[in-house]
Amino acid sequence: MKTVMARLAKRLVAGVIMILVVASFTFLLVRLMPGNPVEAKYQSLLLNGLTPVQAMDEVRVMYGFIPHQSLWIQYLHYLGQILHLNLGQSISYEGTPVMRIILGAAPWTIILVLTGTVASFIVGILAGVIAAIRRNSPVGSAITISGSVLHGIPLFVMALFLAYVFTTIWAVLPFGAPYNAALTPGFNGPFISSLARHALLPVFTYALASYGGWLLTMKSSVISVLGDDFILASEVRGLKTSTRVGYIAHNAILPLFTILALSLGFMFGGSLFIEDIFDYPGLGNLLVNAINNRDYPLMSGAFLLITVAVIASNIITDFLYSVVDPRIRR
Amino acid sequence: MSAELMHGKSAEPAVRVRGLNVVYATSQGDLPAVRDVDLDIEAEKITGIIGESGSGKSTLVMALLNSVGKPGKIVSGSVMVPGVGDMLSIDRERQRRARGKELGLVFQAAQNSLNPLRRIGHQVLDLGRSHEVRDLRDLLRKASDLLTRLGMDADRVLTSYQHELSGGMRQRVGIMFALILDAKIVILDEATTALDMLSQASVLEIVRELHKERGLTTILVTHDMGVVADMADRVVVMYGGEIVEEGPSGSVLSHPAHPYTQGLIRAIPRISGAIDRAVPLPGAPADLKTYLEPGCPFYQRCAAAMPKCQANRPTSLTVSADRKVACFKVTDHD
Repeated sequence: MKTVMARLAKRLVAGVIMILVVASFTFLLVRLMPGNPVEAKYQSLLLNGLTPVQAMDEVRVMYGFIPHQSLWIQYLHYLGQILHLNLGQSISYEGTPVMRIILGAAPWTIILVLTGTVASFIVGILAGVIAAIRRNSPVGSAITISGSVLHGIPLFVMALFLAYVFTTIWAVLPFGAPYNAALTPGFNGPFISSLARHALLPVFTYALASYGGWLLTMKSSVISVLGDDFILASEVRGLKTSTRVGYIAHNAILPLFTILALSLGFMFGGSLFIEDIFDYPGLGNLLVNAINNRDYPLMSGAFLLITVAVIASNIITDFLYSVVDPRIRR
Repeated sequence: MSAELMHGKSAEPAVRVRGLNVVYATSQGDLPAVRDVDLDIEAEKITGIIGESGSGKSTLVMALLNSVGKPGKIVSGSVMVPGVGDMLSIDRERQRRARGKELGLVFQAAQNSLNPLRRIGHQVLDLGRSHEVRDLRDLLRKASDLLTRLGMDADRVLTSYQHELSGGMRQRVGIMFALILDAKIVILDEATTALDMLSQASVLEIVRELHKERGLTTILVTHDMGVVADMADRVVVMYGGEIVEEGPSGSVLSHPAHPYTQGLIRAIPRISGAIDRAVPLPGAPADLKTYLEPGCPFYQRCAAAMPKCQANRPTSLTVSADRKVACFKVTDHD
């Protein structure tokens, strides 16, 4: 247990360093971008009739730093603000702290992508095991083909198709907006059921689009495990089929954990197409708006969030690996 | 041991193989791996099966369990095991129950025969549950006894994962798995090949002890003549998927009748003396082309080949007490 803790601590330190590197990189990137948005804002404030001191104060509040300070001082200031979880203020949503905007958008993305990923992971894995074990039968081929086809359809095509089928031809589900605007948000029955009904289509789309990837990866992993000697040995020893399938699935699923963790990390990048088509105010939409509006503080905040999420999920996978795979436990 | 068993004639064989044919599906067509094999494995004896790589030894023993892996396929034949029935025609559940419980196999790649993600002890329990063993605690005790017999620290092994054991230890664990359910028929397929000479000798010694103690029927698959000479009561020589010679090991090894058996024995290097005193067999082992020929599969490499051998396949005939040979030169008396 002590070694596990030491390992975890080492991982955490490495993670913090990685986050710092990425934060520094985003800091520099924003400053290297052509057009100098800070200067532009400062100038436009001057033109609006503010005095240089007022304009500078305004810019400082907005961006969290003073444009005429040296890059080094700005950098230290920026890092200090990050440590206080202050990511500055948005330009497009004037005066709103970036942190608050991101926290407001994150739940919508998490509802969509997390549910979609977990659902497609579970179904895809199970189907992958069946497709691999019955790969010479029509059932196995049908499952594999379903995976390839669904994997091949672009997300936005799938989204539009499903939206067309279920909201136009057979209008059983609502389209657009995350919930019925007539209801008051809160922990009450009508609101939650409206939330669920609205989420059904986008979650289903997301799950359907990622199901193929899980299925095909799991299938090839299972097939490679099936060729392992210990599987033949377990047959020769007369182990029950259920026990053998358990052996196979346990060994085959390990490589997929990494992919799952990474995709959960990238979840914080949002799923642009789905959020756009189904009109969800999630992180994907947020990021695109930030880019369109040259909202640099919001952009760097969103990038930083993705970085932290990916690094954190990596650390968690690493930790989980040492629980599920005894060969790594030491 | 009764007099009947000593003579090995009237006693019921532990395994009776008849007309066994196994093929491997390849891109060039079906490649026969075991051809028309008839074989009686005598009860409570050690039978050695010997032959070059690719001669069909391993396929034959896998077919005894009806566990020939794809792309292999058993085309015809029967494998009668007393108390079980024909392994090739009973239903799958009964086949499964017979594997491990009646027929224990230590598999060629026994070092990799364990699930890398479960402790050995857990795998023993999995085995027990699969075979409806009531007293799992007792099963673990048996496992522990066997492991101790095999010269290992049983407690450590049972709580270990595969990667924590050396190759030799894994091999012994494989042997433990074949014996733990008290299978009466134990098959060791190259089970000691990966071990160094000293471990091999000690493991074989333990196998011999257990064989006697438990009255087992043991089948040793090997390409090591020394192991056969040392251990086996009977020897079966395979070439190109066929049994070319069989008989009591002493008489077969001292007076080999089939040119292939003679060649095999000549090819053994001696510990002392020049290495070139060992004469390799000329030519290459049987391949798909050989099988398409109507004649003897050994024809191409045989020094004593006659014109008849090219056109006809020799059948296995009893030549003297208890010895069978498939060779015209031996069986034809003109």
